[in-house]
Amino acid sequence: MVGAEAGAGGLLVAAAVGLPLLLAMAWWMPPLRRGATALAPLAALPAAVLAGVHLASLRAARRVADEAGLPVAPESGLDLTLELPLLFLNLRLGIDLAGGALLTLTALLWVAGGLFARRSRADDPRKETFFAFFLATMAGNVGLVLAADLLTFYLFFALMTFAGWGLVVHARSEAAVRAGRVYLVLALLGEVAILWALFSLGAAGGAGFTASGFVEAGNALALVPGEGLAASWEALGERAPWVALLALFGLGVKAGLLPLHLWLPLAHPVAPTAASALLSGVMIKAGVLGWLRILPEVGLALPGGEGAPLALGVWVGGVLLVMGAVGAFWGVVCGLAQDDPKTILAYSSISQVGYLAMGTGLLVLAGPGTEVGLLALGAVLLYALHHGVAKAALFLSVGVAGVVSVGPPRGPSRPGSLRARLRDDGVGLWGLRLGVFLPALALAGFPLTSGAVAKGLLKNALAEQGGGWYAVLDPLLLLAATGTTLLLLRFGVRLEAKVSERRAEARAGEHGSNPDASAGLPPGLALPWGGLVLASILAPLWLAPGALGAAFVPPGVEVPSALGGGMAGFLQLALPVVVGAGVGGLVLVRVLAGPGLPGGFHRLRIPAGDLLVPVSALLARRPRSSAGLATLAAGVREVLLRFEDRVAALHARLGRGDLALMRGPALGFLLLLLILGLAIFGSG
Amino acid sequence: MSGALPLLTWEGLPLAVLLSSFIPGIGIMLLGEERRRARTLLNLAGAVAKLVFVALLLQGVAAGAEYAWAMEILPGLALTLRADALALLFVTLSAVLWLLTTIYAIGYLEGGENRRRFFSFFSLCVTATTGIALAGDLFTFVLFYEALTWATYPLVVHRGTPESVEAGRRYLVYTLVSGAVLVLGAVWFQVETGSIAFGPGGVVDPEAAAAAPTRYLVLFLVLLAGLSVKAALFPVHGWLPVAMVAPAPVSALLHAVAVVKAGAFGVTRLLHSLFGIEVSWAIGGAGVVAVLAAVTILYGSIRALAQDDLKRLLAFSTVSQLSYIALGVALLAPMAQVGGLVHLVHQGIQKIVLFFCAGLLAETLGVKKISQMGGVARRMPLTLAAFTLAALGMIGIPPMAGFLSKWYLGVGAFQGGMPWVAGVLLASSLLNAAYFLPVIRTAYLDEPDEAWSTDAPPRGRWGAEADLRLLLPAVIVALLALLAGVFGGAAWSPLAWSELIVGRGDLW
Repeated sequence: MVGAEAGAGGLLVAAAVGLPLLLAMAWWMPPLRRGATALAPLAALPAAVLAGVHLASLRAARRVADEAGLPVAPESGLDLTLELPLLFLNLRLGIDLAGGALLTLTALLWVAGGLFARRSRADDPRKETFFAFFLATMAGNVGLVLAADLLTFYLFFALMTFAGWGLVVHARSEAAVRAGRVYLVLALLGEVAILWALFSLGAAGGAGFTASGFVEAGNALALVPGEGLAASWEALGERAPWVALLALFGLGVKAGLLPLHLWLPLAHPVAPTAASALLSGVMIKAGVLGWLRILPEVGLALPGGEGAPLALGVWVGGVLLVMGAVGAFWGVVCGLAQDDPKTILAYSSISQVGYLAMGTGLLVLAGPGTEVGLLALGAVLLYALHHGVAKAALFLSVGVAGVVSVGPPRGPSRPGSLRARLRDDGVGLWGLRLGVFLPALALAGFPLTSGAVAKGLLKNALAEQGGGWYAVLDPLLLLAATGTTLLLLRFGVRLEAKVSERRAEARAGEHGSNPDASAGLPPGLALPWGGLVLASILAPLWLAPGALGAAFVPPGVEVPSALGGGMAGFLQLALPVVVGAGVGGLVLVRVLAGPGLPGGFHRLRIPAGDLLVPVSALLARRPRSSAGLATLAAGVREVLLRFEDRVAALHARLGRGDLALMRGPALGFLLLLLILGLAIFGSG
Repeated sequence: MSGALPLLTWEGLPLAVLLSSFIPGIGIMLLGEERRRARTLLNLAGAVAKLVFVALLLQGVAAGAEYAWAMEILPGLALTLRADALALLFVTLSAVLWLLTTIYAIGYLEGGENRRRFFSFFSLCVTATTGIALAGDLFTFVLFYEALTWATYPLVVHRGTPESVEAGRRYLVYTLVSGAVLVLGAVWFQVETGSIAFGPGGVVDPEAAAAAPTRYLVLFLVLLAGLSVKAALFPVHGWLPVAMVAPAPVSALLHAVAVVKAGAFGVTRLLHSLFGIEVSWAIGGAGVVAVLAAVTILYGSIRALAQDDLKRLLAFSTVSQLSYIALGVALLAPMAQVGGLVHLVHQGIQKIVLFFCAGLLAETLGVKKISQMGGVARRMPLTLAAFTLAALGMIGIPPMAGFLSKWYLGVGAFQGGMPWVAGVLLASSLLNAAYFLPVIRTAYLDEPDEAWSTDAPPRGRWGAEADLRLLLPAVIVALLALLAGVFGGAAWSPLAWSELIVGRGDLW
């Protein structure tokens, strides 16, 4: 009975990863391409089913334990693991608490993204290529969530990274190709850092040949509490700080942690909208999951105590906390200076990842299993879910705006009455405004939204930690929430401006040539977008402790109320949003609405990619060069070519000289040597 | 099958493997230039027979059998063939790739001149390679090592252009001088130790070496100097990028199997079967190998960055990648040794795909430079798919085979207490990405180049993008490289075999 269950569970795990992979591979077989493209939106269904089964069984297990008064089981009773020793270096997949939460997000977003792309890419001549990369990226994403050891994690992480490049450059425009290059350069540097960390951990963990036979490296990197990776950290000792930093920053590239976020504001906006939603909604979480997987046990390497002035865990956690806090503000500041709605959203993601980094930092600082650690882990997981759904909904709304703005054809407008305006704008546009407003409110953390729940838990974890971190970060969080409100306000205003622009163009061009113009918002776009908006709005319900919420946080962690729990809590949540909206709406409305920052702020203009510009200029030694990296590459190439020429000339000279010398006598001499050698061999 | 059992235990099996390419080589030479069918038949029959013999050997050695065959040719000197697990790693690689390269070469040289000479020496070249792999002592090794030089020369100069004749000359200068040094070293080794047989763990008496470390180090270095030319170690790698003027199948075989691998394999024998790795480290020789290999890895990659000629880029990439092998087997960590050994196979299958693809592009579209490669993926999707897989493998991106090499080498570097080696590997990975990824991007994203897109290039049978005899080998080996990575954990993977070699103590 148990065996059969395990088998079925394993099959489900295999299908979750395998189906998108198989469909992606169908691209190489042209007759199958169309079918694979048609099925692409459904490829994430096995992952969704797996997430559902896991959550249900986990809840059931906890309820049983509750009723029996037993200590709550952290894992579900179902065996949802799969070990494939033939594949790679023993592929190990499974699902745990963090995996369950992130798989829920991953499945939800990939289904929604797939459905959205199916409609929005319908007229794309290269849609088959798009979906091939889409599916491969999906397989990587699902696989890394389910990975049960770090080597398997890395395998799927790399798959997602390289397949993701195809999504970034899909438009083939100059901006897309440039973004793709920056993306790859930083991703490769990140991969190298991660690999260095994994090499060290694998070696320290005793992979290789032992008296009892060969031990796979995967064992040394297995994600089993107290064994595998934990033992590897313990064995690493003195070298651990470097390894931890490399892992932190290597994964930080994907997460968009400052200062490795340079690729993100370039790459997220240029990708097709459905891909942007996935990049920002779920793929940056892969970096966060990587942190959750590799870092919490770091303190075992150099534990605190007598003689050790600073435990490694405190140190690494501190780096995450500081970089997270800086990133939360940096994202807001740079984002406010952007014009393109999608770029603003990308910067908002950088800012929001700051919160995730802070949560992870708390977990690492306090150590896994401690009260603060459990709270922080729950906070990170809930935050990831909350942000992923809301951010993806906002990204899709940009795509929806593109269709709604050319909206249904109407008669000439009669300015004045609200009724006329409503008719003129169409229900779609008001729907769009609502669909932007509500997820934005959630991101800002207004009471009654998912943001209130997630931020509440993060604050609880911080309060539990107490001390200096709490004193400094708690007020900063308030300020950051105000910033987020401002940033999202700017997003809304810029989106509105874009819609008006397009509408004006469409009217000028006699309703344009868009086939959707007469149909209004097609259901193929409305459903996935609306679904995500709804999921975001209703998140306080499904994240609530009574519902699925309990299955997303460690046992014993209380999910806070979306109301903030009491008047003070409510005010703390509502205040930054009100203040932000007030400041934005009353004082800076003109500043926020305009293209760029007008007046004296013009000099403060920050191009997308912010630090990338000075960095690449520095690299190229040509200030203000937007193609700095390319210039650098060209420069290196030139130097090497010159070197090449010189070496070739030298070789030619040497070669001729040698040959003149060699011909005839030299060959004879060699032959003689050979015979002599044979003779001595014989005599010996 | 009852007939297979006596064959399995037949001691002459190593000789049969050798003769299966030697006989076609001689046979083709005796056949007329125009006997195309007979030549092809003989060639393919030999290649298939070799595969069968190798399969039997693999089965036997996996089960623990030992094969040795010897024939005295001078008093006290015997031609000794021995098939141990290490030898079979190399033999299997050459047997599989020989078959596919032969098919490729038949398509590539169709209608060309001097095909009798070409295929004859092609077979002899593989014979010499097999001999090097199976050599049971230093004498046999040197014999085949020299034979390889002579069997390869006609292939390098095959086209007869001034450029290829010049390349052939340089090849001869480098290899003959180093060959002479190797003979000198071999003789000295014989005099010094009184033994020339290869043995697991080395045949040098550790106490004798400890008593006179400098003399043994010089001896080690003389032998290394003899081997380093074919292993393309810096600074004597210069012949390799020039020799790429040879026809594509020759470059493919040269870079993947024959000459360069003979050098790398020789370094492995030097470290493990002659001196033994412990002694090699004690006298400092292994350290020299490690440092030279590390320098070569970086140097080759940096030089590759600046190339526009695709084959030249691939040649410098070979210089770099080849040294992974020497670096791995030189380390005192079993994981690194597995990584080095398995890269013998992984580099071979990945690099041969790249050269096959370069040949495909040159033959079908006339594209030889990277700057002409814009948009070729649209015209030749399968070729570029194979190229992309192999290039990703070279960078070491999972799940390609190359990642497994990198993983074992990297973990081994830390276990051997040499983190700098991991640094070299990762730096090389980045450099590999820096010269391979732009090629891939150009091929997929750039607009088609006028050089080839204006006139309709030839197509293969059934509307294939190129001659199937060229295309299929490339695609098949690319899939092999993918499978070797994806099924790295399987018992028949090159990785498992390398673990078997190291685990059995054939090396360690």
